[in-house]
Amino acid sequence: MAVDMRLPTVRKQISLSGSQSTDGKHLVVPGDVITSDTGFMRGHGTYMDDEKLTASVAGEVERVNKLICVRPLKTRFNGEVGDVVVGRITEVQQKRWKVETNSRLDSVLLLSSVNLPGGELRRRSAEDELAMRDYLQEGDLISAEVQSVFSDGALSLHTRSLKYGKLGQGVLVQVSPSLVKRQKTHFHNLPCGASIILGNNGYIWLYPTPGQQDEEAGGYYTSLEPVPLPDREVISRLRNCLLALAAHKVLLYDTSVLYCYESSLSHQMKDILKPEIMDEIVMETRQRLLEQEG
Amino acid sequence: MAGLELLSDQGYRLDGRRAAELRKVQARMGVFAQADGSAYIEQGNTRALAVVYGPHEVRGSRSKTLHDRAVINCQYSMATFSTAERKRRPHGDRKSSEMSLHLKQTFEAAVLTQLYPRSQIDIYVKILQSDGGNYSACVNAATLALVDAGIPMRDYVCACTAGFVEDTPLADLCHAEESGGGTTLALALLPRSENIALVQMDARLHQDHLDALMEAAMMACKGLSKVLDSVVRQHLQEVSVLTRE
Amino acid sequence: MATVQVSEAEKVYVMHGVRDDLRVDGRGCEDYRHMEIETDVVSNTDGSAKVSLGHTDILVGIKAEIGKPRPMVPDEGYLEFFVDCSANATPEFEGRGGEELGVELSNTLYKVFNNRHSLDLRSLCICPGEHCWVLYVDVLLLQCDGNLFDAMSIAIKAALFNTRIPKVHISEDEEGVKEIELSDDPYDCMRLNVENVPCIVTLCKIAHRHVVDATLQEKACSVASLLISVTHKGMVTCVRKLGRGSLDPDSIFEMTETGKRVGKALHAPLMELLQKEESLGKKRQKVGFLA
Repeated sequence: MAVDMRLPTVRKQISLSGSQSTDGKHLVVPGDVITSDTGFMRGHGTYMDDEKLTASVAGEVERVNKLICVRPLKTRFNGEVGDVVVGRITEVQQKRWKVETNSRLDSVLLLSSVNLPGGELRRRSAEDELAMRDYLQEGDLISAEVQSVFSDGALSLHTRSLKYGKLGQGVLVQVSPSLVKRQKTHFHNLPCGASIILGNNGYIWLYPTPGQQDEEAGGYYTSLEPVPLPDREVISRLRNCLLALAAHKVLLYDTSVLYCYESSLSHQMKDILKPEIMDEIVMETRQRLLEQEG
Repeated sequence: MAGLELLSDQGYRLDGRRAAELRKVQARMGVFAQADGSAYIEQGNTRALAVVYGPHEVRGSRSKTLHDRAVINCQYSMATFSTAERKRRPHGDRKSSEMSLHLKQTFEAAVLTQLYPRSQIDIYVKILQSDGGNYSACVNAATLALVDAGIPMRDYVCACTAGFVEDTPLADLCHAEESGGGTTLALALLPRSENIALVQMDARLHQDHLDALMEAAMMACKGLSKVLDSVVRQHLQEVSVLTRE
Repeated sequence: MATVQVSEAEKVYVMHGVRDDLRVDGRGCEDYRHMEIETDVVSNTDGSAKVSLGHTDILVGIKAEIGKPRPMVPDEGYLEFFVDCSANATPEFEGRGGEELGVELSNTLYKVFNNRHSLDLRSLCICPGEHCWVLYVDVLLLQCDGNLFDAMSIAIKAALFNTRIPKVHISEDEEGVKEIELSDDPYDCMRLNVENVPCIVTLCKIAHRHVVDATLQEKACSVASLLISVTHKGMVTCVRKLGRGSLDPDSIFEMTETGKRVGKALHAPLMELLQKEESLGKKRQKVGFLA
């Protein structure tokens, strides 16, 4: 057995030297006037106060042409069409599932937005409606894509592609959505021997890299065969690496995760989450990421 | 004044402060990992923790759901060991329920709830150590927690108390001054617009003095807002330095 | 209890992991998560401690008050426990939501700690039959990520170690009326001997094995767990089965053996840490919630 007890450590102040701190970023807090120029459009995280465009959250100002938004450091998931999400079924209703996706309202997965076994163009029958719980039941995890956003901000999801669907054995890691970097693909088979789905909503799914055989399963069959120990070791190590990176607010994408994994190899898996080891590994990862950028 | 001299002839208070001086304020955002937002504040010996969950789907009875804005749900409680005399219950008594209601009203004035129809935002505050100005410590902690959770607000909400002793308004009362029997005014202010989110006075006061007292409380709130502002900016810079690509 | 949802496949994954002695977070079956302990964090209590175990955060405050001894044991003081499952830990505890769990936790703590084998209750007696010290042990749950009992027992032991009770002088006037006088000097105080205070080990039965320090996810995969409180000598002071499932006698025996071994091993590092913290004295930078 192992038990590690210690006194809490005083947090190190991050030195904010002049050049580094601002970094050309425009940081605002709630109530800060961004501009009084009326030629701009008001985006997320702002409001109009007496003709003045004012920030309503603390974060970084982003300008896209005439549109001004403030992106907060940490927030619930603000889904956009096309985002990849990982979510958990919370309720089975008539013709729809309710899915928890770390959004401000539960998302909806309509029965008509899923591929049912037996081909894409099948009609949904009354039997399908009755058998909904056989496909997905409360507690099940799914990967999906945002299909549309309702007027109240709730998301409508779909799983009409073979890469989406019910998730089998693996580990879920939850981080802040703002830490997941937007990329062309959020599905990666990492060379260290496991696969990862980096959901835009901050839910990250780690699972053993699938073989060829379960391609045609339609996404509803989950293998309950034991996952081999080496795969588990990789997954557990990746899990701890993700948490270490998130604790130090490093953006998560395939390269950062992989570098962190490699830096962690000199340590025991269960030690990765100890503060001093976490510091060391993340520092090494940052260094490598900087070098790679050149 | 019940034997205690709250303001000496030289103009010093019990703890050595000047009349308009605030207590030392220290705060931190992002104390807990599991909540959407959290903050801790120390104002002198008063210590408070605030945690924010949401916005999320309305829990419990769906009848609470509002179709045009978010529901704000507050709970104020005190740790049983927070007061000099041990408390028997952390919450649920009349005073805590009243405090919860006041907090709700205060934050409904500041949070842009219309952006989140049908959702709910939970704000839970806990007094860990009580030494006067519990309401204001809670408001200030909750403001920081809301900022941490990225919930849009018109402005910060800063709260402070003020009292009136021997024709002098005193800012940021400690427990001994609060229980001294004088007038206490609690004020929650949106500092930039100088709009008042909540004002409450519990004892009688001559009308002529009210302006002076309000003025003192507003000055104190603005002083506090500077402190909160620096805490938020520091946090913002630290995190943005860390996340830079 | 704060709950997490777990799908069938996740459950299977967790169970197979336990079978292979490799848990989701890389720990073995008998490993604890990293623990941080600090005492003297709330200044208006007589003793306090803050413990964080993974994402479980516990704050304990102890206040000593003078009360009347229980009639059955006139020469002993006693302890009172209160566990506040605050809404800060999880919205489920809002309003009266945490009350049931709070009562369950505090009753168990009472059984574990309030007996003369764990603490020298006689030392809490001021004047037999008339006055004694009552220690109000208030536990505040700030964050909840499984294994509350173990974290609480460690926090309580640390807070008891930190507790300083003012010395009392009893004077008697001619008519035999006793007068109790508390010492004004903050250094003139009594410490408690915490040597025999037990630590709790909760063992979660998952598939055919059991694990210590289960996370909420692991707890959701287990049907029943066993709580054992163990002193530094390895003496078991309390055993309880928790949860809705049932356990067979063989596994209870196995779990007790593991619990004894693990529990015994918790004490030495804890005491070492508390002594170390005390020896740092004023040099130690207080961390509390600000770091």
